[in-house]
Amino acid sequence: MELIERYLQAVAAALPESQRDDIIKELRDNILSQVEEQEHTLGRPLSEDEQIELLKKLGSPARLASRYRKQEYVVGSSTFPIYWKILKLALGLTFLLLAAGSVGLAASGKSFFESLSILLRYPSIALSVFGWITLIFFALEFFVGAKCRLRDEFDPRSLPPLTKKPVTRKSRFELVAKLVMQTVFSVWWLTGLHYQFLIFGPGVVVFNFAPIWNTLYPFFVIAALVDITRTAVMLYNPAWNGLRILKYVNGGIGFAILIILATRTELFVPANSSVETQEIVKNVNFALHLGLMVAIVVRAITFIVEVARLVAKKVGAAHGVSAGTV
Amino acid sequence: MVDLIANNDVLENLRLELRRGCLILAVLAELRTERYGYTLRKALAEQGMDIDEGTLYPLLRRLESQGLLVSEWREENNRNKRFYRLSPEGKGILRQLSEDWKSISVSLEGIL
Repeated sequence: MELIERYLQAVAAALPESQRDDIIKELRDNILSQVEEQEHTLGRPLSEDEQIELLKKLGSPARLASRYRKQEYVVGSSTFPIYWKILKLALGLTFLLLAAGSVGLAASGKSFFESLSILLRYPSIALSVFGWITLIFFALEFFVGAKCRLRDEFDPRSLPPLTKKPVTRKSRFELVAKLVMQTVFSVWWLTGLHYQFLIFGPGVVVFNFAPIWNTLYPFFVIAALVDITRTAVMLYNPAWNGLRILKYVNGGIGFAILIILATRTELFVPANSSVETQEIVKNVNFALHLGLMVAIVVRAITFIVEVARLVAKKVGAAHGVSAGTV
Repeated sequence: MVDLIANNDVLENLRLELRRGCLILAVLAELRTERYGYTLRKALAEQGMDIDEGTLYPLLRRLESQGLLVSEWREENNRNKRFYRLSPEGKGILRQLSEDWKSISVSLEGIL
């Protein structure tokens, strides 16, 4: 029955969130009722080929899910799943390109607002992308129509494997807000390293960044781009396996930055030569250094616990398999 | 060849339009008795009204949201099933639609 669960998982991914559980529950019952009836007639469990045949009759998951959506008048219902996928991809890629542009400008030393101006063009560009894609699909429907119905052939064997635990989706609004905040923060941080008053405010007359922060600059740029890309991908496909890799890449970069900073005793330098300022900066450096050491210890412990859990899980799984084969 | 394909498409679309209204009437009529999706589909098929899942289940949801059907989840044969039946409003609509159908049917018999 794994094939059926994979099919239902794929249908669920394409359904509106508010109705997902209810629809899947009903569909599962319907499919299992059919399976039971066929098995009763045949007097044996259904073979994989018979299950595939049954799923093929239901149509592709995207097509089945699209039937539950409201009737679309501009784009035909047969092409709607593909239209929706392309639209989401195009809007996401547009945002990513503009966010990368903003981060790039910030990294090249442009001011905060100049860097951010690229991202602020998103609403108008997104509207234009939406318009063009909708127009193309409308034209396809209007001029070619039924003669060019997209084929609904699919192979249930190629359905994505079951995710071990249900993908916990953050709400779309939450992810979009996170994406925007990440981009604005990245631009602020990267421009702030050039124009330090953006970060220190009036404190810029007391202390400045030590040269090590400039040495680490490329790491910050990469971390910002990876982080933004990760959130954008989560928005498009939260089940994508590469998300974990991106998480580890960013975790690795963050840890490397932490270690490099912790090896330095001087993270800030005084902005003037007064004894009082030098004393303040010395204390700040000492406190931050201690803070970084604690952070490294915490990160190291977390890492060891995670590895231990992973190993225990693998050993447990291997043991389960060997016990099952005996 | 192109004309033949176009004619087939036109015929297919007209058939779909013709069936759409009939299906609603058939589903409402079958749900005078409470049923869940699978048994409803079988009952319709036995009467010569084949309907695929991708059409039936969204239709049931639509009719329910219009207040013509009511549904509830109940356990049967160790599985939870969603049972549908006509609502009082649905009964009234079915009565009116049945009268309309009979009248159209008589008219069409004469025309055809």
